[in-house]
Amino acid sequence: MSGLETSKPPLLEVKDLSVSFGGFAAVKNVSFTLQPGEILGIVGESGSGKSVTCRAVMRLLAATARAEGTVALDGRDLLTLSEDELCAVRGRDIGMIFQNPASHLDPLRRIGQQVAAPMIRHLGIGKREGLQRAVKLLEDVGIYEPEKRARSYPHEFSGGMKQRAMIAAAIGCQPKLLIADEPTTALDVTVQARILELLKELNRKTGLAMILISHDLGVVADICSRVVVMRNGEVVEQGPIDDVINRPRHPYTRLLIESQPGRKSYGTAGGPDRGTPLLSVENLSVTFPAGQGLLGGFGSSNSFRALDGVDLEINTGETVGIVGESGSGKSTLARSIIRLNTPSGGAIRLDGQDVGALGGEALTAFRRRVQMVFQNPYDSLNPRMTIAEAVAEPIWRHGIADRKAARKEADALLEMVELPSSLRDRKPQQLSGGQCQRVGLARALALKPQLLIADEITSALDVTTQAQILELLVRLQRERSLTLLYISHDLAVVSSLCQRVYVFKAGRVVEQGVARQVLSAPRDPYTQALVGALARLPSAGTIPLHNRS
Amino acid sequence: MSLLQLIARRLLQLIGVLAGISLVTFLLVHMAPGDPARLMAGERASPETIAAIRSQYGLDLPLWRQFLTYLTNLVSGDIGLSLRFQRPVSQLIEQFMWPTLFLTGYVLCLAIPPTVALAILGARRPGGIADQIIRLVGIAGLTIPVFWLGIMMSRFFGVSLGWFPVSGYGTGFAGHLHHLFLPALSTAIWLVPVLTQSLRAALIEKTTADFVTAARAQGATERQIFWQTMLPNAVLPTLNLLGVMVAFMIGGAIIVETVYAVPGLGTLMVNALLGRDYYVVQGLTLIFAVSTVLITLMVDLLTAFIDPRVRL
Repeated sequence: MSGLETSKPPLLEVKDLSVSFGGFAAVKNVSFTLQPGEILGIVGESGSGKSVTCRAVMRLLAATARAEGTVALDGRDLLTLSEDELCAVRGRDIGMIFQNPASHLDPLRRIGQQVAAPMIRHLGIGKREGLQRAVKLLEDVGIYEPEKRARSYPHEFSGGMKQRAMIAAAIGCQPKLLIADEPTTALDVTVQARILELLKELNRKTGLAMILISHDLGVVADICSRVVVMRNGEVVEQGPIDDVINRPRHPYTRLLIESQPGRKSYGTAGGPDRGTPLLSVENLSVTFPAGQGLLGGFGSSNSFRALDGVDLEINTGETVGIVGESGSGKSTLARSIIRLNTPSGGAIRLDGQDVGALGGEALTAFRRRVQMVFQNPYDSLNPRMTIAEAVAEPIWRHGIADRKAARKEADALLEMVELPSSLRDRKPQQLSGGQCQRVGLARALALKPQLLIADEITSALDVTTQAQILELLVRLQRERSLTLLYISHDLAVVSSLCQRVYVFKAGRVVEQGVARQVLSAPRDPYTQALVGALARLPSAGTIPLHNRS
Repeated sequence: MSLLQLIARRLLQLIGVLAGISLVTFLLVHMAPGDPARLMAGERASPETIAAIRSQYGLDLPLWRQFLTYLTNLVSGDIGLSLRFQRPVSQLIEQFMWPTLFLTGYVLCLAIPPTVALAILGARRPGGIADQIIRLVGIAGLTIPVFWLGIMMSRFFGVSLGWFPVSGYGTGFAGHLHHLFLPALSTAIWLVPVLTQSLRAALIEKTTADFVTAARAQGATERQIFWQTMLPNAVLPTLNLLGVMVAFMIGGAIIVETVYAVPGLGTLMVNALLGRDYYVVQGLTLIFAVSTVLITLMVDLLTAFIDPRVRL
């Protein structure tokens, strides 16, 4: 191991760490070391035990968890410390930041107080001194008007600012080690890039050692010098980042690298049919009233404009991507197309027919032609139905076949999305996220739609699962000559899948064009920022792309 | 939005609510069966006498004129004359109000400390022995009818042991405390389990909250986490429940006050209803409604004080 090569004693040495909950072993014999000033990445999918490992280091696991092995910080075993000794280490020697900054800040206390609390606790300074240092820290982590912001509450902060505040609270006591558990997963890509930049800078300036946990190999490659790859609670591979990425030894690491969005181009189905567009959106606007409640009249009663004059065209057989950060209006567009939102202006036409004017039979026919798959695979399936029933439901509801025939048809559809027949009588909660999303696809395809809208269908999934779903989508599109509208916050996924792309920002289209061009030579400053923010693996010339083992 | 703005907005809303309440109470009496003029004049009064009483009280005017008169009287603090006592209703209510308010405050003092203690004890190990016992005893306290408990306690502590007086209000602060102990205790016995269950559930929910994990990761001790993070975040639902309960107690202490013969609003209400003393009933309804509104307002302001997100 690389720890033996250096003469310095390691800052953190984890040896044969095993964690079990009841009879379930979540982490098995994990060993790694961390040198002072080093950034170590831990990569793996959800359930691989990477978070549990780090929580075991901090002893933050539930009382039912049993941890064995040694976790030595500067030679001191953390697993044997008493509760009091532990409190003196947490926040003082080891700082930690979490995946969802919104839920990890106390909603009732001001940001300044929360940043100051660990310093007041560990450094024995007064409240005033603590607050002054908190303001300084907020400034250091890049928050404007830190004095004013220190008096704000968490709900007045954006996601990126909350994560900055969490970082400020974690580094206040100048710890030796910062553990970052998926610190950017809940954030938009441009915000993610800035937070990663901040972490890098902290490491450079203060020599703060870090453990960065992520499911995203791109993020880890961007910032870490060494990486540990975990799967099913075990370390499958570890080493310097360049070695692991350019010469992966374990087949799982290869699969992870291969699954990175943008790594691989999904051969898009035949060129678009030039001619009349299948779907055209003209000058579409959607506004939501900003509710003020009773007697809210004397507050500003401005309404919120989710979409503002959007023009868009999709030709038959084409795959069109829509990219934007959260709040950019991309989901509102999808919901407007299938008439879940009422536009306040403009028109949506399918084959030249105004969708908003449809009613009765024509509307039912429209619903058959346009189907949507949703972001959350669990929430969009009825938990009380088996998956075969869920897929069969639209068929008999639309009167295409009776219930028995519909069940047969559903079986065929489930086979088409590569779900084993043994799963047919399961309920959604007994399936994995990827399997559920396949069910969602099968259900959407049950009515043989012309246009399929996929709204962030892979963003709740692991990267390897995402790659499989995308492959499936491309295959289905080819086989059934589907027109596809693919919505995502991930520019890399969109560019590898779509022929044309529209970039959304604050309810407007800021850039559109051929996907490859937009990605390689973005014209709009916002698109440039998006492209620049992509945490991508270094494009190594030749990676043996072995088939999945 | 700042707290002051919130208070201003809520007070503005209050005007509308009060107007509504006054209309409803006014109609309540006029919808009620029976003719107040005939009632005042007595069974054998001549039609002339009744007509005279009608015009004296303005009962012969159109309804909207009567309502206007009622409103102007309300604004000047006049809510009518008790038919039975021949005294202004406002005086009566003021006289009977203090025992009820004292009793309510007493119940709160008796109920809140054990609620907090029991909820903490239960939430520390959900499903543990302490939690089970607290829940079982709580259910027993909830199911025992207040009137039965009241009678039993006054027999045992009042008559057999002679520790506490079984009726009345007493004189002086110490006297009030002594006299109202049994009524306050019988109310607290069903109030504590209700509040405990609510607070316990909220506490258990917050033990797994992300910000609690974050506080732990920053080195806070379990004691600091509990008092500074968990309790403030868990207390809001219970506070709202408590507000409802207090409003209920001011308006609904009828059973306890009757059993222990406390000269409070509940007793006044029962007597006024039995004696068809319409204007007292009207005045009391008004007072109960207003006090409910005020308590809700207070709870809302307290909530906004604790939770900045409510101030939006």
